[in-house]
Amino acid sequence: MRVIDVHTHPVFRGLNLFGEPTDLKRVIAHGRRHNIVHMIVLGDVLLYGATPNAAQLRKINDDTVKVLKARPDYFTGFIYLNPLLGEKATMAETERCLAAVPGFRGIKLEIANNAAHPAMRHVAKAARTYNLPVLQHSWSTTNIKDRKHQSDPVDTALFARRNPEVKVIMAHLTGIGFRGVLEAKGLPNLYVDTSGGYPEDYLIEFAAEHLGADHVLYGSDLPIRENSCTIGRILDTQLSAADKQKILFGNTARLLNLHLN
Amino acid sequence: MNLIDTNVNLGPWPFTPAPDRTGLELAAHLRARGIRRALVSHLGTVFQPEPMVTNRQLFATLKRTPNLLPVPTINPALANWREQLAECLAAGPIRAVKLFPNFHNYSLASRRLDPFMAEIAKASVRLIINVRLEDERHRYFALKIKGVPLKQMDAFLARNPPHHVLFAGIYKGEVEKLAAKHANFSAEISFLEITNILEVMLRTFPARRLLLGTATPLLNTRAGADKLRCANIPAKAKALIGADNARRLFNL
Repeated sequence: MRVIDVHTHPVFRGLNLFGEPTDLKRVIAHGRRHNIVHMIVLGDVLLYGATPNAAQLRKINDDTVKVLKARPDYFTGFIYLNPLLGEKATMAETERCLAAVPGFRGIKLEIANNAAHPAMRHVAKAARTYNLPVLQHSWSTTNIKDRKHQSDPVDTALFARRNPEVKVIMAHLTGIGFRGVLEAKGLPNLYVDTSGGYPEDYLIEFAAEHLGADHVLYGSDLPIRENSCTIGRILDTQLSAADKQKILFGNTARLLNLHLN
Repeated sequence: MNLIDTNVNLGPWPFTPAPDRTGLELAAHLRARGIRRALVSHLGTVFQPEPMVTNRQLFATLKRTPNLLPVPTINPALANWREQLAECLAAGPIRAVKLFPNFHNYSLASRRLDPFMAEIAKASVRLIINVRLEDERHRYFALKIKGVPLKQMDAFLARNPPHHVLFAGIYKGEVEKLAAKHANFSAEISFLEITNILEVMLRTFPARRLLLGTATPLLNTRAGADKLRCANIPAKAKALIGADNARRLFNL
């Protein structure tokens, strides 16, 4: 089955698994070995810590611009933003990236702030203005007690609820867990990606049952996770072949309007 | 590809929908994912005040599945550990026993383990030490058991140089730190993860000390097997990790 990976960080200086600077040929060869025909690049988002300033954001996004310019056939990008920098900075960085290269199709948020923070309205404005889905790092704060930076699934769902016209991807199914899936249920503009921790069993089926297979997107968190595991756990489910294909490929292609041969 | 899984459990897990499979169901589940033989313990032993009730269940459940080899849990912190071991040996043959130091509330570094280690050496039984069963960042809120501390694993290996043990559920960073000081351990691969993990591991850790494990049923079985099957490593290393090391270590 063909695969689109919606959650990757090919440039990731913490590991440098694909060389320094990142050798895109190696990334693509790796992806193709796993039938990954396209990757969504989210940036080296923790390079400068949780709350990068405007100049640091530009550097991270410029890395993504280079990737998109070099191999637009294989990579699509998300613009990394820090909502706490305010409306002007958020809109300016979004516009700068969109002008730089045509391959940006979404916005990536990490742990600058909780998704319920009022500053998220700036991101919602950028998303609405340019019709960009927002991928929000999310993790259950049951065990990670840092609600200031971490977005619990409750918070990401609240952002989606407040902005029904914005498509939101709640990242890290194996991080939001069973409770997170139930928080996401019933919100037509909310999707989950399958990245996160270890390949815990039963979660994919649970997400597909409660959200519909149409709302589950394959993501790996490359290079932090092993693609063979993250794909294998989907192939191993009892879901129909059609639903597996949606999760692995079709849903992301549709959401990001990707026309891949 | 011939696969022997060294980290499989029977029994339900109270915090996930993990199924309570029969031996035949488990054998069929593994076979469908390319795993012909497996070392199997019972999850119930981690919660019991004394593991033998559940160990007996394990032996009974696996009676009709010769390719699923029982690995009973011993709790050496209990006064009756010799009886536990003797009963398991009598029920055998067994190739290994397993410890859950973090769930059973004793230190792997304790001197109390010395007579236990001598006893299992006498019986020619291998030791598997379960470091963790779950990702501590992502699990049921009421379960607060942490993984076995690295310091304890380090002290244990230093105290037991003649014993070669298998750590199950160990992280990459833990393997790397222990490997810098000790050669008397192998690592099961279910909790080793980054992209191209086996290729990366083999740069610093020998293939002859890595063993396939899927952590079934808490982690997905195919995901664990595919980690090896899809790895970009030499066929010889795959054969070692997939089955040959298990055969050698457990005399299968």
